[in-house]
Amino acid sequence: MRDLIKMVVVLLVICTTSGVVLSYVNEATIAPREYQYIKFVQEPSIKAVLSDYDNDPVKDRMQLNLGEDQEGNPVEKVVFPAKKDGKTFEVAYSAAAKGYHGPIEVMVGVDPEGTLTGISIMTHSETPGLGARIVEPKFTEQFAGLDLETTKLSAEGGKVDAVSGATFSTLGVITAVDDALEQFPQIKKEIF
Amino acid sequence: MSVVKEFTKGFWQELPPFRLVLGLCPTLAVTTAAENGVGMGLATTFVLVFSNVLVSILRKLIPSKVRIASYIVVIASFVVMAELLLQAYWYPMYKALGIFVPLIVVNCIILGRAEAFASKNPIIHSFADGLGIGLGFTLSLTVLGSIREILGNGTIFGTSVMWSTFEPLKFMVKAPGAFVCLGFLLGLMNIISRRRPAH
Repeated sequence: MRDLIKMVVVLLVICTTSGVVLSYVNEATIAPREYQYIKFVQEPSIKAVLSDYDNDPVKDRMQLNLGEDQEGNPVEKVVFPAKKDGKTFEVAYSAAAKGYHGPIEVMVGVDPEGTLTGISIMTHSETPGLGARIVEPKFTEQFAGLDLETTKLSAEGGKVDAVSGATFSTLGVITAVDDALEQFPQIKKEIF
Repeated sequence: MSVVKEFTKGFWQELPPFRLVLGLCPTLAVTTAAENGVGMGLATTFVLVFSNVLVSILRKLIPSKVRIASYIVVIASFVVMAELLLQAYWYPMYKALGIFVPLIVVNCIILGRAEAFASKNPIIHSFADGLGIGLGFTLSLTVLGSIREILGNGTIFGTSVMWSTFEPLKFMVKAPGAFVCLGFLLGLMNIISRRRPAH
């Protein structure tokens, strides 16, 4: 009986200590982990969609509060402003939508009129050779110069040609970009 | 045995992947480049040193019936810590090693050292043992990674070392190359140790 109690107590103490220490390490590394994620995953895309800026969009990033969604959860968005001579002239931020296999994360660059300056696919898990071709410049370059009205499939009156054989992946990208553009009026109020 | 001897045995006598042929899963999988070998080796060394020390401190407190469960909790905690630290300060390496960082938990070298050494020896000796074995493991992975990177990609640590007309043997950085390379290294080590009888 004493053995049993000792076993339970020792394991309990070890597991509890482990849990406490790990939660502390987790808390302590949140900021650097977020920074590394931005630097290695988002920064290449930010550079691709913004042009001719003289600030560091990652350093100048802002967290905006965009009200609440249908379930009442607060919607927060991190935006990366591109500035020239201290004046913001473009902004980049990300949006995600469901693709064929999983979420597609897209970085969009938008100018004050709500026109896209470019898009860049950050993460996706689409089929190699088919849906994965959404990352190709031939596809993403079509988005530059479009706005909320024209970001639709060309079959539906928009200006985006689908990647052949990958309608769902294409729609995923379009949905993400549309979501981003729908949020733009609110973002515009905050930063331009 | 002296502390120094506990430390140095990890470099030849008990060199994990080549002499004990332990921990082969990460050895084969991540050594596509020299840098990945270093990263994996250092992550493993971190876990090995700390788990050895902690197991040694707790060796008189842990009842023998639950010792394996306790060791696994200790090891797993340090692995999660290593993963978080890699993610926070060495992101490209975290991406390159992928699933093999969490899999350090089941690396038999670490549980093996905890069970066979740290649970029976004082703290300083366990520390020396963990550090020696860990660095030996790092060295082995780096050598294997370097050979595969040179032959398979013509570079070492990302710098080009081969002549310009060198055609890389692409299969060396794929899975079969790992087995071929490991086989040759094991054979070489056997020849050397036969000529140099164990003391």
